[in-house]
Amino acid sequence: MSNNATDMEYAVETFSLTKIFSDWWGRAKVYAVDDLNLQVRYNEVFGLLGPNGSGKTTTLKMLLGLLHPTKGRALVLGGDGTDSKINSRIGFLPEESYLYRYLNARETLDFYGRLFGLPPKVRKMRIEALLDMVGLKAVANRPVGTFSKGMARRIGLAQALINDPDLLILDEPTTGLDPIGTRQIKDLILKLAERGKTVLLCSHLLADVEDVCDRIAILYGGKIQNQGQVRDLLQQTNKRQITTDAITDTAVEKIKRIIQDEHAVCEVTSPMEKLETFFIKTVAAAQQQVQTISGAVSTTKIGAFLAPETATENILDKLVSAPVSKESLPESPTTEKVVPVESPTPEPDEELLTKLTGSAETLQPEPVVRDESSPSDGLDEKVTTQPVESEAPQAEQEQIDKSILEKLTGLSRPQGQDEEQTDKSQAGDAGDG
Amino acid sequence: MGSIWAVAINTIKQALRLKVAAVFLILLLVLLPVMGFSATGDGTLKGRLQTFVSYGLSLTSILLCLLTIIISIYSVTSDIEQRQIYTVITKPIRRFQFLLGKLLGVVLLDVILLSLFSAIIYTITIYTPQFFNATETERNQANNEFFTARAALAIPAVDVSQEVRDRYEQLKRNRELPEDISYKEIIAELTMQQQLAKRAADVGQVLVWEFNNVEPLDQSMFIKFKYDVAVNPPDMQVYGRWFAGDYQYIKYGTESKTPVYDRIHKHSVRDFHEIEIPAAVVPEHGHLAVAFQNAPLNNTVIIFPPDGLEVLYKSDTFTSNFVRAVLLILSRLIFLACLGILASTFLSFPVAILLCLFLFATASFSGFVIESFSYLNVNIGKIYSYTVKWIVQLLPQFDKYNPTKFLVPARLLSWSLLARCAGVMVCIKAFLLLVIALIIFSYREIAKIIV
Repeated sequence: MSNNATDMEYAVETFSLTKIFSDWWGRAKVYAVDDLNLQVRYNEVFGLLGPNGSGKTTTLKMLLGLLHPTKGRALVLGGDGTDSKINSRIGFLPEESYLYRYLNARETLDFYGRLFGLPPKVRKMRIEALLDMVGLKAVANRPVGTFSKGMARRIGLAQALINDPDLLILDEPTTGLDPIGTRQIKDLILKLAERGKTVLLCSHLLADVEDVCDRIAILYGGKIQNQGQVRDLLQQTNKRQITTDAITDTAVEKIKRIIQDEHAVCEVTSPMEKLETFFIKTVAAAQQQVQTISGAVSTTKIGAFLAPETATENILDKLVSAPVSKESLPESPTTEKVVPVESPTPEPDEELLTKLTGSAETLQPEPVVRDESSPSDGLDEKVTTQPVESEAPQAEQEQIDKSILEKLTGLSRPQGQDEEQTDKSQAGDAGDG
Repeated sequence: MGSIWAVAINTIKQALRLKVAAVFLILLLVLLPVMGFSATGDGTLKGRLQTFVSYGLSLTSILLCLLTIIISIYSVTSDIEQRQIYTVITKPIRRFQFLLGKLLGVVLLDVILLSLFSAIIYTITIYTPQFFNATETERNQANNEFFTARAALAIPAVDVSQEVRDRYEQLKRNRELPEDISYKEIIAELTMQQQLAKRAADVGQVLVWEFNNVEPLDQSMFIKFKYDVAVNPPDMQVYGRWFAGDYQYIKYGTESKTPVYDRIHKHSVRDFHEIEIPAAVVPEHGHLAVAFQNAPLNNTVIIFPPDGLEVLYKSDTFTSNFVRAVLLILSRLIFLACLGILASTFLSFPVAILLCLFLFATASFSGFVIESFSYLNVNIGKIYSYTVKWIVQLLPQFDKYNPTKFLVPARLLSWSLLARCAGVMVCIKAFLLLVIALIIFSYREIAKIIV
């Protein structure tokens, strides 16, 4: 929206980026990243997914010049990731918040603000806004060494935002955070994207990625295995979902009959609330009874300086004043508006997980695994016994997912056919550390 | 500049809050005043002052050197090992700025601590005479021989080559030359003998030292000397008649326009002593002579050892000499900070510490180390002289330019000497180390873990 470099097509672009970790003698040991061509457009939330050691972090480190690519090249905001001018437009949150443990929260942010050469007034204003936003205002004078992992994560995120970056590079942004914190970060990412920022995040927490990303790439063995729009990848076009208010059984029977006339199968339950939503509600209720806790406070505030030119007064006022419970609900209009894909939510995750753990209880409509599962096939009612999301559509797996699943199930059996790839991933893991 | 400053301040906070510096701080704050009371030296006021300044400054210097090595290495390696550098170096700060910030932080901390401790040492030193109720004579001695900065008149070298040649010919004629010793060694031995002879005075004999171009003095001059004797006198004391004044009067007995010092003193042997000589003895033409006569009362030959005679004059105050001595320590600290930064750009913490401590020790004993090479036999000596000796000579010589070597005998540490020494140590050697460090750091992979 507000990018001054819109003539460039991509915010991040890599050209056959390759990183080989070699041993002491210089012999190639591990292909951590292998011929990677990644394109992140301006003003999109791009998710880099992959299991441990798939080369996500190595890729980010090469983008930022912390590692030198063995081959290939990376462009960040149209330039080199080590260039100071480019750096001043990037916010980076590493895989763990590496902080100076002897500084307190405010000093930490002040230090990073100084690195950006922010004038004292702006620095002070932003520090207070960020502390407020990440809910650490009450503990701003405590050394960050005494912080819990989640609190450290919040400070880490605040330092990534202090320069009001155009490009935000987040490595596992939600690790160590409680569900509320996770929800906040997800909301924040969406809001930032709404304001014209580009976000590149890498994670293996699929639910997080799914909620916020416009496009994703799945990395395995340093190579992109699949990429595209989240909607395209996940939407089940051969299914429909109808959600209604509470209606009578007779009405349900009528609907069932209509559907049967269409020769389709249907299932009726009351939608289950997401555990995340339930959790947030519970904590919000407790918060209203003013139970003080020692750690971070959950807020839904967002620093006004983060692209103030697009932030309308209304939204900000609402954000600052609204109570936690309403804001954090996924049903809240702010979230709904931005999440492009709402229907096919976490159902696929569940299936992946079941497959990975090798559980045969659930029926999998997919041919690959079908032989392992119970012989009763094509019975969609079976799936309804899953206690999780009934608001999600029934599982009738799409073709797109098959290739991913095949690979992932291969991963769950390390002695399987893809030994070389497994090797790579393990070694890549070491390289990441 | 802002980002360099931010890193520097952060480094100082790190050193103070992680208690590394605090340990050294407390140690010195406790030790220095204690030493002020416990250091007694030879019991006189001057001895007490000398001991305190010598131990106080040496202790401060060594502790700050260690602190500098530890902090400069720790602050860079811990950032890399604990990975705080990931979030720092990805901000708009160039890598050389990061290192310069670290260096600036360490040096600033050094400046602060060094000023604090030297102020303490200085204050204690200045107030010691009052505190211990020293007598007037003791104070006088301390003022003349300690609370001052004295330069020495250059003693002209004695040319003995003619005598050596004659002696050599004589030995050759008499076929008394030893055969297993080379010509060079014989000459060296003979030179030493002849020079010793020039410094020896038989009973009644007079030794004369001449000094050209002596500037008129406004304060007393001092002759500092040590007697060696051939036969120990019963009370270990000998008489000496000292002259100082116009060389023509002393050498040829002609009329002198300026007063001439002429007095007999009794001094113990094998100790350093000083006699004060009024400034008025220096003649207008600047050609001064100092003479010593072995008084006929003695019945032994008196010999002056090679460093046994100095003619000193006051040329600056104790305070400015002290300041320069502290600056000498500071230049040493800056060198070590650069060394530590360099080591930490490519080594892990323990290895870098070991390397720097080793180099620090070598630099502290460089004179001894270099000298010891000459005792090696020829073949091994060659290997060393092309390798280790070369490295040792690249290191600064901390022992040669030890500040206490100037303050204890109240010798002048001139600005020019300080500039030369600090210039070589900081502007050339430390700068070179820093440049290498910047190059290594600019090209290394930050995220690559050094094991």
